[in-house]
Amino acid sequence: MTAADGTGTFWQRVRQFRSARAGWIRVACYAASIALVLGVWQAFGRSFGVLFVPFTTTMSQLWEMLQSGPLVPALGVSAKLYGVTLVIDIVVGVTVGLVLARMKLIAAALEPYVYVLYATPTISLVPFISVMFGFEFWSRVLVAVVISIFPILLGTLEGARSIPRQHLDVAAIFGSNERQIWRDVILPYVAPYAMTGIKQSIALAMVGTLVAEFFLNPDGVAAVLLQGTTIIDTAWVLAVTIFVAAMAVALVGIGELIERYLVRWRRTAVG
Amino acid sequence: MAAHGGRIGLSAARPPGWWKRVLTPERIAPVVAGAFLLAVWELYVRTQLPDFVATPSGIVMAIPATLAAPSFWSDTFVSLGAIVQGVAIGTVAGILVGVAMGRVREVDWFLSTYLRALYALPLIALVPIVIIWVGYQPAARLTIVVISAFLPVAVTTADGTRAIPKEYLDVGRMFGAKARHVWFGIALPTALPHIVAGIELGFARGITNAIAVEVLASVRGMGMSVFEKSGQLNENASLVYVLALAIFAVGIRTLMVRSRQRLAPWYSR
Repeated sequence: MTAADGTGTFWQRVRQFRSARAGWIRVACYAASIALVLGVWQAFGRSFGVLFVPFTTTMSQLWEMLQSGPLVPALGVSAKLYGVTLVIDIVVGVTVGLVLARMKLIAAALEPYVYVLYATPTISLVPFISVMFGFEFWSRVLVAVVISIFPILLGTLEGARSIPRQHLDVAAIFGSNERQIWRDVILPYVAPYAMTGIKQSIALAMVGTLVAEFFLNPDGVAAVLLQGTTIIDTAWVLAVTIFVAAMAVALVGIGELIERYLVRWRRTAVG
Repeated sequence: MAAHGGRIGLSAARPPGWWKRVLTPERIAPVVAGAFLLAVWELYVRTQLPDFVATPSGIVMAIPATLAAPSFWSDTFVSLGAIVQGVAIGTVAGILVGVAMGRVREVDWFLSTYLRALYALPLIALVPIVIIWVGYQPAARLTIVVISAFLPVAVTTADGTRAIPKEYLDVGRMFGAKARHVWFGIALPTALPHIVAGIELGFARGITNAIAVEVLASVRGMGMSVFEKSGQLNENASLVYVLALAIFAVGIRTLMVRSRQRLAPWYSR
């Protein structure tokens, strides 16, 4: 390393500058990237006819839709489906995962089918599910749950299977009863594994909600998106897409915060 | 303690006889469970639901007629072709961008806002805007599959190349490695298992989103046929298509797991 006063080859000076001003460069990069994309979006917004609209038009369209219009009621419909799906994912996924971990024969019997169902694109089962169970709310929930439950189920299963025997032995030696063993050993041990799955399911439940809404008689946010697509209202579709993206970022962020809180006592992250 | 041991003592004192070694309870159980599930499905539909609803026996009977139709093969060819092509394009682009993000902090800072937001977004929400931009045609399907593969590959490659152990780089520098050696000789192999995981995710999402485009934009292909046959109350034929898609998806997943074991045997998961 040569002196810090700007001597040395060009690349050495570049390297020095990069490490000396890292914080500043970072802020500049974020600012530049946001400014560039928004600037290009705004500048070329009117260059493609009906196919594109400037950033400000998109945002005012979104503002208008949130004030009045179909987005708010649709959001309520979607939120209900999403919430019910996620609760079922967590309750059923964790329970079945724990049960399968304790019942080895049943797990061996069902495992191949779980993996095949997990790999199969659930979206292709939508017509079958609609013929079997109809197009109503619980049919939608079924589609969304099948799409989003597996990370929780398989994560819990993996966690419950990997509980070290010593932990159970120690609890038994100190005279823990069944309830105490579950409360003090099994559940705390499994929690981070389940949470890793829950974090993925938080994102997948959005996919499930949208798939159910797109393909079982359009409803909710997906119906609003399709409405804009049919009449080729680009501002409309862009506004809803950006809103969905913001929701997704927020939900995934919340999932990460909860996971970090739950795994805080582990030295290495799971998964 | 006893309550938490294995309740079924399979490992203890197995009696002799080859059939008992081959036909272990763990191997019989899936067969029994599968037969039971199929029987319940068959009986439930036959007793409770109308004739046109698919049954396991009906699906088996529908296989020859479905496979004999040329449209099955053309659907399969265009759908799977678009998926493989799209994932290939997305993977190459994803690796290039991911390596750049993983090795150059400024690139990461510049791109991460958009990449992370798009990665969190359910890509099916992008289908409408892509249909508007690309049109109601096969190119929309290819576009969505490319995006579906690009995002996970870019993110996992960036994560993988960022986490290179310092010792590798030190050894490389000691032997006079140039920048391209570091990138393609050290960074890329270290990131390989991450990249394969990204491709696997890309395929899973690509298949789902390709089907979504086919149905929403009326583009010919397997996904559209699944919905179309079902709409014509030809449920058994519809599920033959689903079966073909499932075989493809399971095959891709197996291929990915195998190639990860082959390419990066040190990486166990």
